[in-house]
Amino acid sequence: MVRYVIERVFAALVTIWITTIAVTLLIHAVPGDPVRIMYAKFQSTPEQIEAVRTALGLDQPIWIQYGLYMGRLFEGDLGRSIVGNQPVLDILLTRFPPTLLLATTSLAIAVVIGLSLGFLAAYKRGTIIDVGAMIIAILGVSMPHFWLGLLLLFFFALQLGWLPVAGSDWKSLILPALTLGLANAAVLARLTRSAMIDIFDQDFVRTARAKGLPKTIVLYRHALRAGLVPIVSMMGLQFAYMMGGAIVVENVFAWNGVGRLAIEAVFARDYPLIQGFILFFATVVVLVSLIIDLLYAALDPRIRYS
Amino acid sequence: MSARRTSDFVLSVENLSVSFGRGASRNRAVQNLSYELEAGETLAIVGESGSGKSMSSLALLGLLPPGVATVETGQARFDGRDLLAMPEAEITALRGDRITMIFQEPMTSLNPVLTIGRQLTEGLIVHKGMSMREAEARSIEMIDRVRIPNPASRLRQYPHELSGGMRQRIMIAMAMASDPAVLIADEPTTALDVTVQAQILDLMRDLKREFGTSIILITHDMGVVAEMADRVVVMHRGRKVEEGTVGAVFETPRENYTKALLAAVPKLGSFATTAEPPVVVNQPKTPARETTLVSARNLTKRFKSGGWLSRDEGVLAMDDVGFDLAPGETLAIVGESGSGKSTTGRAVLRLIEVDKGEIQVDGQDMRALGQTSLRGARRTMQMIFQDPFASLNPRMSAGRLVMEPMAIHGVASGSELSDRCAELFRRVGLEANHMRRYPHEFSGGQRQRICIARALGPGPKLIVADEPTSALDVSVQAQVLDLMLELQQSLGLAYLFISHDMAVVEQMSHRVAVMHKGRIVEMGPRQTVLNDPRHAYTKTLLAAVPVPDPTRKRGILPTLDVDAMPTGPLTEVAADHWVAA
Amino acid sequence: MATTVEAIASPRSTGFLRSLLKSPTGVIGLIIVLILILAAALAPWIAPYDPLRMGAGPRFQPPSLAHWFGTDDFGRDVFSRIVYGARLTLQIGVIAVGISLTSGLLLGLVAGYAGAWAERILMRLVDVLFSFTEIVIALACLAILGIGLTNAMIAIGIASIPFYARVTHSIVLVEKGKPYFEAGIAAGAGHIRMIFLHLLPNVIPTLIVVGTLGISTAVLAAAGLSFLGLGAQPPQPEWGFMLSSSRDLISRAPWMMIFPGMAIAITVLGFNLLGDGIREILDPRQVTR
Repeated sequence: MVRYVIERVFAALVTIWITTIAVTLLIHAVPGDPVRIMYAKFQSTPEQIEAVRTALGLDQPIWIQYGLYMGRLFEGDLGRSIVGNQPVLDILLTRFPPTLLLATTSLAIAVVIGLSLGFLAAYKRGTIIDVGAMIIAILGVSMPHFWLGLLLLFFFALQLGWLPVAGSDWKSLILPALTLGLANAAVLARLTRSAMIDIFDQDFVRTARAKGLPKTIVLYRHALRAGLVPIVSMMGLQFAYMMGGAIVVENVFAWNGVGRLAIEAVFARDYPLIQGFILFFATVVVLVSLIIDLLYAALDPRIRYS
Repeated sequence: MSARRTSDFVLSVENLSVSFGRGASRNRAVQNLSYELEAGETLAIVGESGSGKSMSSLALLGLLPPGVATVETGQARFDGRDLLAMPEAEITALRGDRITMIFQEPMTSLNPVLTIGRQLTEGLIVHKGMSMREAEARSIEMIDRVRIPNPASRLRQYPHELSGGMRQRIMIAMAMASDPAVLIADEPTTALDVTVQAQILDLMRDLKREFGTSIILITHDMGVVAEMADRVVVMHRGRKVEEGTVGAVFETPRENYTKALLAAVPKLGSFATTAEPPVVVNQPKTPARETTLVSARNLTKRFKSGGWLSRDEGVLAMDDVGFDLAPGETLAIVGESGSGKSTTGRAVLRLIEVDKGEIQVDGQDMRALGQTSLRGARRTMQMIFQDPFASLNPRMSAGRLVMEPMAIHGVASGSELSDRCAELFRRVGLEANHMRRYPHEFSGGQRQRICIARALGPGPKLIVADEPTSALDVSVQAQVLDLMLELQQSLGLAYLFISHDMAVVEQMSHRVAVMHKGRIVEMGPRQTVLNDPRHAYTKTLLAAVPVPDPTRKRGILPTLDVDAMPTGPLTEVAADHWVAA
Repeated sequence: MATTVEAIASPRSTGFLRSLLKSPTGVIGLIIVLILILAAALAPWIAPYDPLRMGAGPRFQPPSLAHWFGTDDFGRDVFSRIVYGARLTLQIGVIAVGISLTSGLLLGLVAGYAGAWAERILMRLVDVLFSFTEIVIALACLAILGIGLTNAMIAIGIASIPFYARVTHSIVLVEKGKPYFEAGIAAGAGHIRMIFLHLLPNVIPTLIVVGTLGISTAVLAAAGLSFLGLGAQPPQPEWGFMLSSSRDLISRAPWMMIFPGMAIAITVLGFNLLGDGIREILDPRQVTR
């Protein structure tokens, strides 16, 4: 177990480290002069451009740039945004909590609906319930998030007027969370169904039935507990999808999170902000995956006692 | 046969039919099966794969895979009631209490995320209404009775912490804890090594006597039948072909199928009086045995597991292994799972790289060969695998599969290639027009014939055969073994024959090497080693083999102290008879 | 994209279409995909109006006989725009999946076949990229390349490479572990023969399934980027972009939102069903052994 934890933590650190290299290289992959591209919208003299170049350290050799970047990173300095000239870290710290709130609420919705639907379908395999659940699921998987969002917006906010079109209070959270949650519930339902069907076909479930245990015990103690292991292992990825999906959904509902920020940054070619965003986003995803990996290990005695 | 009275029957099955699938693709797995089980008897239901033997028993307990197989007709009277007509709640109450079951795969039959204690106690709590404390006490008692040391501490362990044999003991403890009237054992020892099998069979017999349980033993192994059963039901393609006491079925089988089945079973000791395998061709080609084809010395291989953080030493799969093989000779490497016998076969072909040692094949130093010359050298040495289906690329036709090695080694090309391929097909007992078919269109035995034809193509001198018949039914096994003998004698092939089956080894080999935990513990001429084993492990291995003859009961298994066993270097105790000191 | 992918081992290419036609999933998927291809190929004959012509009718016309799906804020015919949009959608699917499938296949194959340090380094890198999530990689690519539909296709293609590399790698590992692979080596086969005759034919069927399902993911992703304004630019008749321009006009002209969304959903559904249908046929559990 200790070895497993150390390996996971190490792998997470390596990922974050490689991310820092990737974001440093990002600005160099830009065809042409990144500084000119960034400042294309502003009236700036060649002297000003050169000043920015020096300020960003872009006139230095690349390894020195990386060293400078890492040095500042350890001091919590992610640079300043081009638009608005604010510290990138401050911007991210104010815009990240709404996204995290949206993603976790959606994940909760997706888990509750997706797991029950998938479990039910697997248990009733081959029946009309299974077919029905899977038709709903594949429709859900095929539906673009933003369209589902617009439809919900149209009916619940505009036609019925039950919920606000946009805002930042809990009422405004409902529609975006529902959009993201429902869309991912469909994905989870399909995954859960196939994981549970695998479990139901296992020899030990047959053993449990052969022992004459009541159906509920076979189902919950034997099948579901064993099934949770593969299902929990998928959650890290699910969270990542949720964060990715949030970027789009935020733009539908004008939810003021990091997703909208990212789009604005790409439009404005605000490279320091883009770099900060990628690093921050990847770190959050990696850390959450790490936590889920450890949780998964705790669930599976084969890892727990190794 | 003495008169059988209905009142003695614990269970009587009548006209049971089970079918697979639905609608047009429906298939009868079991047809009109009837039998009776007497109190305290062991009834063996024996048959080859696809005979319906497992299905018939799963059907009794309502355990058929849902949506896949269904009971069509039949009655099964137990305790005055019909098991097949019972409502779900009633059969659930009987199952695991009055009638219990153990399965083939001990590795997967226990729930990996629940403790042994949980899995042992839950049935007792549900069926007997015991408290947790009572159930735990009973479980500890049962673990003790299946002869697992430290029973109390086992309750908190998880299945992965126990070996396969221990898990099967736990399964037996679970099945016997409720003192059932009937125990259904579905191939209970098939997945186990022969020495473990012997212990489990002994255990089942003892427990049956103590508890007075009736056993339905489902098996394909005639040795197990002879050893365990009072009466036998022989099944073939879903039907009962013969039934009788074990003595009658073995001594005077009435049906042709039973006769053929019994004739196909290799019996250890049948060749005790001959030094060589049976000659099956008129003019055997016997190359000079004085020369050496394969010479292996000091082979050592350690498999490391885990990442760079791992302090794991790994497994020593081969430890100072050495042997010689003459042209036209068969050296059998026998051992149980994990003994390193397959590793040794692969090392000779350099399919795995050894850590240390020398291998010479046909005068070439195998370890010194570069990639290209190694590929060329493979022309003289080919391999046959355990699972013929998996060892054939599913996307290539049988013809292309057989032609491939010939094409690689430039043996032939164009129409000559396909002519030779057709000839090989006929040579191994297939038809030339089978060449266009794909592996999934053949039976198990035919697939192994394809594998043999493929190996023969480039004209090898050595064939490494890794358990070539252990995935096959016994009647098919006999045919494939005959084919291999015939090919050896007419072509002068040398076999490195890797097997766990002592009876097959006796039939096939000139010399035998016994492996245990990566080391050869005994090696010598087959007759000497099997008739006069010197090493404790060889003796145990031979004593554990079930004899397919109910009149010759297997002796008591000598207790083997693995740690006290000599594993030193081989010393010559008699002419060419080497034993670990 | 988040479908569990199992390695598929199976024979019979003959009768493939026949088996596909037996699966209801496959048939519906095939029909939808064929309709999409027809719409794209015959757009000029199907579409009643020029998709770019403003004032083809009055602005904000609700669906009518003259304008089946209504008109938009510039008086363009929404139906015609959707028909022409099929061309862009197909292009997106083929280009994006083409990029990711070929690169991913190559990466996964090399890593899986070579093993040892090459495998460790390559797959470690792929894992890192994978944890960035596809949308972030796509955003990074767009930040580098600049916005636009072509760049969006490339960005989506690049973003999915880690996924395809992982899938290929895992199939290669499964196939490498099967005895037929060892049998090939034991027969004396060289690298070229092992890769092209043994490995690839067993890897490709699963990748066809993954690629078909991947087209739906790519279409979704491209529509998403266009919706955000990073992909298609005015006046391209791209479905995602049409949706984004409908956002502020939902109450006034809901048809501008409903029909393009439906077009995306049905297309994605079609490729999903087709992929599932092919998978059903190739599933090892359905192969009679």
